[in-house]
Amino acid sequence: MLVTLVVAATIHVAATTTDVRELVMAVGGDRVRVETLTDPSQGHHPRELLPRQLTVLAKADLLARVGFDNEPWLPQALRSVRPRARDLDLSKAITPITTETARLRADSRPHIHAFGSPNYWLDPENAHPLTAAILDKLMAISPDHRAAFEQNRSRFLAKVDTAMARWLEQLRPYRGTRVVVGHDAWPYFARRFGLTITATVEEKPGVPPSPKYLATLIDRMRQTGVRVIIADPESPMVLLHRISGATGARVALLVPSVGADPAASDYFTLFEVNVARLLKALTP
Amino acid sequence: MLELLWLPFLACLVLSGIHAYLGLHVLTRGVIFVDLALAQVAALGMTTALFLGHAPQDEATYYYALAFTVAGAALFAVTREHREGGQGEGLPQEAIIGIVYAVAAALTVLVLDRVAQGGEQIKQLLVGSILAVTPEEVARIAALYAGIGGLHWLCRRPLLAISLGRPARHVRAWDFFFYLTFGLVVTSSVRIAGVLLVFSYLIVPAVIGAWLASGISRRLFIGWTVAFAVSGVGLAASYLGDLPTGATVVATFGMLLALVGGVRALVAVATQVRRHGVRALATLALVMGALAVLAGLALAAFPRADHLWLDALEDPVPAVQTFFLTPYERQVRIDSAAAIARNAAELRRLRALQAEVQWGTRDLPDEQRERLRQFLQAGDEIVAGDRLVMRTLRQHARERQRYAVGIPLILAGAVLVAVSLRAQRAAVAGAGGGQEEGQHLHV
Repeated sequence: MLVTLVVAATIHVAATTTDVRELVMAVGGDRVRVETLTDPSQGHHPRELLPRQLTVLAKADLLARVGFDNEPWLPQALRSVRPRARDLDLSKAITPITTETARLRADSRPHIHAFGSPNYWLDPENAHPLTAAILDKLMAISPDHRAAFEQNRSRFLAKVDTAMARWLEQLRPYRGTRVVVGHDAWPYFARRFGLTITATVEEKPGVPPSPKYLATLIDRMRQTGVRVIIADPESPMVLLHRISGATGARVALLVPSVGADPAASDYFTLFEVNVARLLKALTP
Repeated sequence: MLELLWLPFLACLVLSGIHAYLGLHVLTRGVIFVDLALAQVAALGMTTALFLGHAPQDEATYYYALAFTVAGAALFAVTREHREGGQGEGLPQEAIIGIVYAVAAALTVLVLDRVAQGGEQIKQLLVGSILAVTPEEVARIAALYAGIGGLHWLCRRPLLAISLGRPARHVRAWDFFFYLTFGLVVTSSVRIAGVLLVFSYLIVPAVIGAWLASGISRRLFIGWTVAFAVSGVGLAASYLGDLPTGATVVATFGMLLALVGGVRALVAVATQVRRHGVRALATLALVMGALAVLAGLALAAFPRADHLWLDALEDPVPAVQTFFLTPYERQVRIDSAAAIARNAAELRRLRALQAEVQWGTRDLPDEQRERLRQFLQAGDEIVAGDRLVMRTLRQHARERQRYAVGIPLILAGAVLVAVSLRAQRAAVAGAGGGQEEGQHLHV
């Protein structure tokens, strides 16, 4: 009880990514102070622990994270600070996509994410269950602010629903379009907006495709008229442009996380930018 | 297919031409890792350019890389001079090179941390992508390397003399020229092929040349032959084996080196045997015996651990395992193996079907698609289950092989060790005895 009173003023939240930060802020409003542990421009995989991360973790009341295998660096960080923060694994709030990654090679093993692609925040519909889980945790920490949190959440979700209707409408003419992706980061996004992912250029990030794989990919893309390749900042751009040159497909550089591109500065602009860039590539 | 591979092949030939030659210098100078250090310094230059607001593809970024490379070249020229001044200290230049590499890599990380965009491109620059090379890039490096090669040919006398450690004038200036041109070549090559591939093209042909011949021109000829051959074989293997290209070419270099080294070792052993008889094989037998003892001990002590040599034996000769299984277990093993083969083939067929549906070359109703998806998931589980059965049976067999195979292996190894030790002692005694006799006579 005493602890609750002390922290009631401001809840310190450590969010592992900018996307998690946006969602926590949407519910917490001015009652929370959220700090992000990773930098989206560095691909969310820090090379080594930074002192700042440990300080943030040590003073946090709540640790909100993506879950699955998205934070391999976190156990080490937690070992060194022994934080008092409550843990919020957001992956438990959503229904994961269990479909196999699209593969060219019939005999290759499932790809590197043992628990499926973690990029579930790229489906705006998931904002509902994700903010519900955040609401639960925040209310447990600070029951006095229940009304404020609930109000913040419903205001945010109303905004998401309005925007969502617009995004879906903009992309409606292209439902069922086949696309190739640079990395396996887009299953949630593709499912929501009606795109079919037919192949991944780099099945394992960092391991370049073999010439045979590339030749098959280019052949199939030519035969079936795939017009768009979805890239992200970590994609092998030189290779994607080579494939684009050989097939005539356009490369759409989408943003997988808030802040990974200066244009995508918050939750809503993330989707605005992605929908706009996708439309530009899809429009004949 | 050829449209994908002929450009990488051309690029490999251009790399072979200049790197096999520069490798000879690097090897005789004993500055093996200088290319890694200069590539890292160039990457630091590019990162700095990004930090100052240039885009990765900008001209300015290239010139930053160039300027940093020149600075690195100057540093290496100066430190060599320093070493000659204080010869007694015996500070090897590799120490400086290693430090430059580590510090440049660390600084790159520090600067990258402050760069908003483009960090990924820098990482990719060091990894390279030989498969994505463009005609313009090949033409540019071909022209650049032809120019540098021509300059080196004109200045071959002083350059060779310095590399071979012979007296020469203006050593510092020539050294700067060497490291500058070398840095230019490495920086340009790494952009296309990545650090690992460039390092292999530089060192492996030169090492094989040095093994097989003496004299610069012969070594250069062998080096070029090796580099051209490996380029062709590596690219073909990458295509046929469905493997990443750069890594395959590097591995091909490694295999060729191992092959040449193995043949050289065989020739050396054969010469020894011709000279000293079978006793020359004593050391080899000693090593084999010791390995057998270790393998036997490991099997007896930890039967459930991995014994890769036994796995490798059981794959072609299943009897090694089935001999230790009960008739019932033997039947289970046969059934599981058949099930794995059958299910794996079925899964392959269904995955191909799923791919066709995904690409739209074949249409399936939604309900059947969903069934296909579920079937594939279940299929993987079933195959995994059968594999688990096979592994459990193998462990049952291991429990029984533990002493039946382990102890004879230990004994056989021990006998081999004892025999070869005796043979060696006899050889030493033979030589030593002769000496003793001589001394005795003298007294």
